[in-house]
Amino acid sequence: MEPIKDFFNLLADPRIFFLLTVALLVVIIWKREVFVSNSVAYGTFAFLGAFFLLGSFDENFRLIVGKSDNVPIVGLIFLLIFFTWYSLRQAVHNDRRIAAGKPPIEKEEEDRVWVWPDLVYTELIAIILCSIVLIVWSIGLEAPLEQPANRSVTPNPSKAPWYFLGLQEMLVYFDPWLAGVVLPSLIVVGLMAIPYIDTNPKGNGYYTFNERKVEITIFIFGFVALWSSLIVLGTFLRGPNWNFFGPFEYWDIHKLEALTNVNLSEYVWVRAFNAGLPSNWFVREIFGIILTVVYLAVLPVVLARWGLSFYFQKLGAVRYCVAVGLFLMMLALPVKMLLRWIFNLKYIVAIPEFFFNI
Amino acid sequence: MGDKKLVGHAYNVDFLNVVFAVSSIFLFICTVWMVWDDYDREWKNYQRRFVQLEMEVTRASLAQAEADVDQEKLQALENELSAEEEKLAASQNQVTELEDKLSAVNNDLYRANQDYQFAKATYDVDRYAYEVRTNEDDSIGEQESAVIAEALEHVNQLNLAIEKVTADRDVLQDEIGALTGRGDDIRSQIRSLNGEKIRLEDRIAVLQPRLINDLVLNAPLLDFLAPTIRVQQVITPTVVDDLNFTRVVKMDRCMTCHLSIDREGYEDYPQPFKTHPNLDVYIGSASPHPMKEIGCTVCHEGMGQSITFRDASHTPFDSHWLHDREETERWEGEHEWKEPHLWDYPMLPSQMTEASCAKCHDAQVYVPKADKLNLAYGLYERAGCYACHKSEGFDGLRKPGPSLTKIDSKLTREWVANWVREPSSIKPSTWMPRVWYNENSSSSEDGPRNEAEIHATVSYLFANSEPHEFKVPSPPAGDVTRGEALVANIGCLACHVVDETSRFEAGPRRTFGQPLQNIGSKTTYEWFYNWVRDPEHYSADTYMPNMRLTGREAADIATYLSSMTGSSGEVAKASYEEQDIDNVLLDYLKTVMPTEEALETVDGMDLETKTLELGRRAITRYGCYSCHEINGFENVQPIGIELSEEGSKLLSQLDFQFVHIPHTKTAWFSQKILEPRSFDRNRVLVPMDRLRMPNYGFSEEETELFVTAIMSFQRKVQRPEAMPPGSARLDALVAGQNLTRRRNCVACHEIDGDGGDYRTLLDDPSLAPPLLTPQGAKVKPEWMYSFFHNVIPIRPWLDVRMPSFSLDDAHWNEAIRYFQAVSNVVGPFKMKEVFRAADARGGAELFKLLQCQRCHVLDKIPEGQPTANLAPDLRMTPERLQPDWILDWLILPLAIQPGTRMPGYWPDFPETYYEHLDGDAKAQILAIRNYLMTFRGGPSPVEGTRIGIYVPPVTSSDD
Repeated sequence: MEPIKDFFNLLADPRIFFLLTVALLVVIIWKREVFVSNSVAYGTFAFLGAFFLLGSFDENFRLIVGKSDNVPIVGLIFLLIFFTWYSLRQAVHNDRRIAAGKPPIEKEEEDRVWVWPDLVYTELIAIILCSIVLIVWSIGLEAPLEQPANRSVTPNPSKAPWYFLGLQEMLVYFDPWLAGVVLPSLIVVGLMAIPYIDTNPKGNGYYTFNERKVEITIFIFGFVALWSSLIVLGTFLRGPNWNFFGPFEYWDIHKLEALTNVNLSEYVWVRAFNAGLPSNWFVREIFGIILTVVYLAVLPVVLARWGLSFYFQKLGAVRYCVAVGLFLMMLALPVKMLLRWIFNLKYIVAIPEFFFNI
Repeated sequence: MGDKKLVGHAYNVDFLNVVFAVSSIFLFICTVWMVWDDYDREWKNYQRRFVQLEMEVTRASLAQAEADVDQEKLQALENELSAEEEKLAASQNQVTELEDKLSAVNNDLYRANQDYQFAKATYDVDRYAYEVRTNEDDSIGEQESAVIAEALEHVNQLNLAIEKVTADRDVLQDEIGALTGRGDDIRSQIRSLNGEKIRLEDRIAVLQPRLINDLVLNAPLLDFLAPTIRVQQVITPTVVDDLNFTRVVKMDRCMTCHLSIDREGYEDYPQPFKTHPNLDVYIGSASPHPMKEIGCTVCHEGMGQSITFRDASHTPFDSHWLHDREETERWEGEHEWKEPHLWDYPMLPSQMTEASCAKCHDAQVYVPKADKLNLAYGLYERAGCYACHKSEGFDGLRKPGPSLTKIDSKLTREWVANWVREPSSIKPSTWMPRVWYNENSSSSEDGPRNEAEIHATVSYLFANSEPHEFKVPSPPAGDVTRGEALVANIGCLACHVVDETSRFEAGPRRTFGQPLQNIGSKTTYEWFYNWVRDPEHYSADTYMPNMRLTGREAADIATYLSSMTGSSGEVAKASYEEQDIDNVLLDYLKTVMPTEEALETVDGMDLETKTLELGRRAITRYGCYSCHEINGFENVQPIGIELSEEGSKLLSQLDFQFVHIPHTKTAWFSQKILEPRSFDRNRVLVPMDRLRMPNYGFSEEETELFVTAIMSFQRKVQRPEAMPPGSARLDALVAGQNLTRRRNCVACHEIDGDGGDYRTLLDDPSLAPPLLTPQGAKVKPEWMYSFFHNVIPIRPWLDVRMPSFSLDDAHWNEAIRYFQAVSNVVGPFKMKEVFRAADARGGAELFKLLQCQRCHVLDKIPEGQPTANLAPDLRMTPERLQPDWILDWLILPLAIQPGTRMPGYWPDFPETYYEHLDGDAKAQILAIRNYLMTFRGGPSPVEGTRIGIYVPPVTSSDD
């Protein structure tokens, strides 16, 4: 059993975990025809079910998964996968029909039903079922109460509410004002706005993928990879001192991680030029500033010509700039993560004089 | 939008009906489950079981009460009653007639009363309205005043009617009473005779199982109305809980399950029904700690509001790892017990509850009746914990170890090295801990390092030793046997252990002084002789008192001590070279300077300088100077962390590292005390980062007591109004209790129910040092003061002797005030009156009759009496004793001093057996007392001190 546990502990390393999630998304979208088959769904759920069931034999796994706060997140994993699968399946079906010249399934259905019994009755049944679930839940799981709050003792780890755990994960890579204010706002705004920047009227009222490829891909990436998977990671895999712990690992408060990170300016001036850091902050950070400007201002232009030219032509200059700007901001997170993991890069631009660090 | 389509169904309605039906049934089942889950609580079952228990106990008490009733008296009363009833039967018609009348009058009274109340209420309303109007408007006419006056008149009339009817009723009642009064009287007598029985029968009636209780009052969903099973609680008026952001009064609900905690009669029942021990000290309403005011959790800790076993944070007896985890395992099975996490301060294990006494009785080294805590504090002080760890209540004390400033004149280097390697190998009962060769410094690489440090430390001590000149340079030899007898008899054993008694067995009082085991191989005869003769000459602040030994006695004792040779410690376990000294010194220096500089420094020193520098740094690191006076370390701060609030530390602040013990505070402290360096286990640490608390080799019993002491060091949470009320007497008591424990007076003397341990070493307890409880009332303060400064033998036939202590006046006054506080007197000054009355009429005769002189010394010691019967010289009386106390003493000596051989000559005071002075006991006692007051010329400590000249303790003259 131990090698298998070690293997999963290894997979759960945030680097591998994140890269695997992204890779999996790419594969799913690319091979969506295969993904939407029932057998894939059964297989996935069988695997997940077996993983949680068998994993529960391990004490550490049981402790972290069975914690009253965390049980809903287990449910979240199943629901997230199911709905992603279901929406893609509907989309693929419709795409096939559209390709065959038929209207989407939704257009075939009757669009008017009776309020009673079709709406009210089903709502009533839903209320009953939800009540049952809530009652059983509240009897079965104890409320996660703790000792009286104490201003001189912070819990370790101190975790945000589950829906903010993705943001808390970003704090590892960015300064609080970026990770807590700028990036989340832009990501949320981006997730909401990007689908509407495209004026393409298709895909309205029915599932489809082919007709809105870019929007759906960006949304799935933003929501599933950046938002939800980081919640899962923050819930189950971050332990004392915000250190990473595999799902089968004991949360030892003494665990240490080597965290020596270096600013870009130090790479350039000290390592490459073999000189000391300039005292003037602007000179010192000039390379980081140039890099940031390139990323935010030059890259969209370059992409408009090469790579995303079809998108540029479809949207026009203004819409394109807004959409790509938002997307690049969203992408800043994985980019920074990669830089940190590969180069131990602390900040691209570090101006502690103004508390400005990127 | 496309074409309009027909309205259709999205679902099959028949199928929805089935889903609805099934889910509704499930919802119903879940709701029932929810109600039951909410209803089914363990405390309710305890209350149900308790009803049966209470029934059992009440029935037993009832049987007892019935047996206690005076049957004869009852029978007589019942006979009388039946006779009376027969008599009454004759006049039954008359009574019936009167009773009918009475009932009619009562009716009238009821009606009159109601009329009056209605009228009065209306009048009050009108009057108020009138008052308001007159206040606002001056032009209120006379007409309105007349209306109000009329209304008042009406009310008064009605009141008169009531009074009249009441008078009628009283007359009727009296008439009936005249006929039936005697019968009622007997009935009430019978009732009061059966009082306890009736009370218990009523209680049993309440406790009887009744269907209405189960089906209605305590039924699920109905039990909010008037349940018989309900949560019990005490809300303390002054004692608070600290919730970090606020302090709130405690709400303790422990008695919801511990139902009979404050009732006698349940002592033998299992928990939670057991009665609290010592109800007269705790919990009882007449005790100093009544439950209604103190609650439970201020002493026991835990979460008082909770009514489940687990959340109340019950802590098993074995929560620290010193015991088998039997109770824990049982609880895990019976109560699904887990390590509590809802409350920062889980209950103290039952054997440590006394730790909480210190919350209110703070800065006291002795809390009456808290035997465990007192023992724990005694050990804490003896082990010298306070020397390294600042601890409130233990500040300003002398360093616990002997002074090392003149070590060269006392010890040899070799002996000291062998001693520190393993102190207990020389003296098994010593308090000196092992600093080197502990768990984290015993590997083979550590050997040379340890030896280098030991060598350097010893070298430093000897290099910094001051010269010392003995008072008697080459003393004459003595006799071993005589010396042994002296040590055994004059009182040395009160503070010193000579045999193999273990440290725990000997206790803190008998280990007050150094154990004398194997002491012969420690130092020289010359040193012994000079030390026992005058300890302060060698060490000015020693606690060792002067025993006023003659030169010959000193020589005998010194000879005896020198003869006690034996183990001289552990020899070196490893060898070291100069290179080792360099390396170790380098490690030390690198913590305070860059490596290069450290290397240069070491290179620039010769071997001796290096050794002394290493010694100085090792002493600094291990904190030797915290316990011992060492030259060069006069003003260095102790090395340990402060423990003043250690008991309030949160569990999360304790680091368990790789030691696998239960995660509780008591377990951590136990581990730290028992194996101080074990938290370094399995860790990779450079020597300077390793733990350095020395190992005392504590036993498990000792460890438990130390943990109790530490748990008693609490943050101050309670407000002053929750504390025992302060008074000058309490201050005097506390100061005196501290002093008499800190100077070990209680090793010899029993004071206020504690101490006098020396008695257990004697075959005949009457030859022990005296009981000092009555001292404050008995002895005059000025005499006590003189005696302290100039000890004279009161009972010269005793071997044991009161030493001369060199306390300052402040302390002696503390002691005197303490004795007075114990007796609750402030020495009344009334000698003059007594002397004026000292005509001693008849006193001399009584004195002769009662044969006082058979036991009491009067100039010469009475002959033919066993030593145990002898009593002090009565010529000291006028100078020494309080005149009022003598009166109490003469009446009933046993009440003042249990076990005394002084007979009580007036056992049935104020009756008397003697004809003198008209057979007046009071006058007889006064006469004797006054006669005693005429004596003069006994031994006196007052000489010298009276005229203000301090006479230093006699340090013997050579014989």
